[in-house]
Amino acid sequence: MRAVCGRSVFRIASAAFVIISAACAGHSPASAHGAGYRLSDKKAVPIEFYYSTGEVMAYQETRVFSPTDPKNSFQSGRTDEFGRYSFIPAAEGTWRVAVNDPEGHRVEASIEIGEDFFTDESDVAAATAAGSIPQGAELAWRAVLGVSVIFNIVAFLSLRRTKSPQSSQTSKIKEEAI
Amino acid sequence: MHISEGILAPQILAAGVVIAGAEVAWGLKKTDHDKIVQVAMASSVFFLASLINIRLGPSSTHLSLIGPIGLILGWSAFPAIFVALLLQAVLFQFGGILVLGVNTVSMATAAVAAHLIFGRPVRSGSLKIAASSAFAAGFLAVLLGASLVGMFLSLSDYGMLTAAKTLVAAHIPLGLIEGAAAAFMITFLKRTHPDVLGMAR
Repeated sequence: MRAVCGRSVFRIASAAFVIISAACAGHSPASAHGAGYRLSDKKAVPIEFYYSTGEVMAYQETRVFSPTDPKNSFQSGRTDEFGRYSFIPAAEGTWRVAVNDPEGHRVEASIEIGEDFFTDESDVAAATAAGSIPQGAELAWRAVLGVSVIFNIVAFLSLRRTKSPQSSQTSKIKEEAI
Repeated sequence: MHISEGILAPQILAAGVVIAGAEVAWGLKKTDHDKIVQVAMASSVFFLASLINIRLGPSSTHLSLIGPIGLILGWSAFPAIFVALLLQAVLFQFGGILVLGVNTVSMATAAVAAHLIFGRPVRSGSLKIAASSAFAAGFLAVLLGASLVGMFLSLSDYGMLTAAKTLVAAHIPLGLIEGAAAAFMITFLKRTHPDVLGMAR
């Protein structure tokens, strides 16, 4: 009697296991998928971001905008320890890569991806960095230009003052007083 | 301390243009023609000071010298800093044209505040009082400028108050350096060219 009872319990348990397994498999098809990886043969665009002090913009928020959708980012993330960020362009056109830091600094690189970029012959994309800071001799030249502009403004104001009749009258009054 | 383009909300940018316009107009009104060369000198110093990098531990920063510029120029610091920021935006890509108003308000207001608070002790006090006042002016001008930048960022919902606090804290070492530079500059000018500080020679 006990043996018959034990067999029927075993059969019921086996049937329940088969039914539950089938139900689980039927209701969650995603669990049947795995995730894998492979090395991509696509060409990437690596960019370095830095401050005017020469320091790199490490671990800063970065967003990539495609030529077709300038509002919603195509890709986002952070620069690495060395201020670098890479993306793989999916189409020709001007791609924008914007990096922001919490202190109010922002730099936006404008990368022009031509037809050549997707062919094997070309190694580097024609890239122009819209917010790039001048360095070296160009920086020195611009510094001299800036100071020159300031003193040209002063020279212009002084010249205007000496030519104005009001100022010549006041200088005459001063001379008479002396 | 420059805020870059594309960060602030349009309302904040518009408010910055209006306030900076009023400040620059007031500064020009208060600027005597004989003082224009002095204003140009200070503007050039501010323009070039941003190229001097200072290493602070793992990071680096650059000078602004807004404290001593405020003490020397007074109200004329508004147009001097505006012109220098305009040239920095055009020639060095520091800040930007759209954000010029906000940057002018942040830095020039701090410079003029240094003049209003510490100008009198610098001019009429002894050399020691002038040096300590100039140090405080240099230090606090940097912190006030950073606080204003933080305030504009917070108003634009960019990182909110945490960013502002980080910004002010990050500028404390620069404030100490600028305070020391201001104390040195003002003491030197008080000894050699007191007329530059608006004192009789």
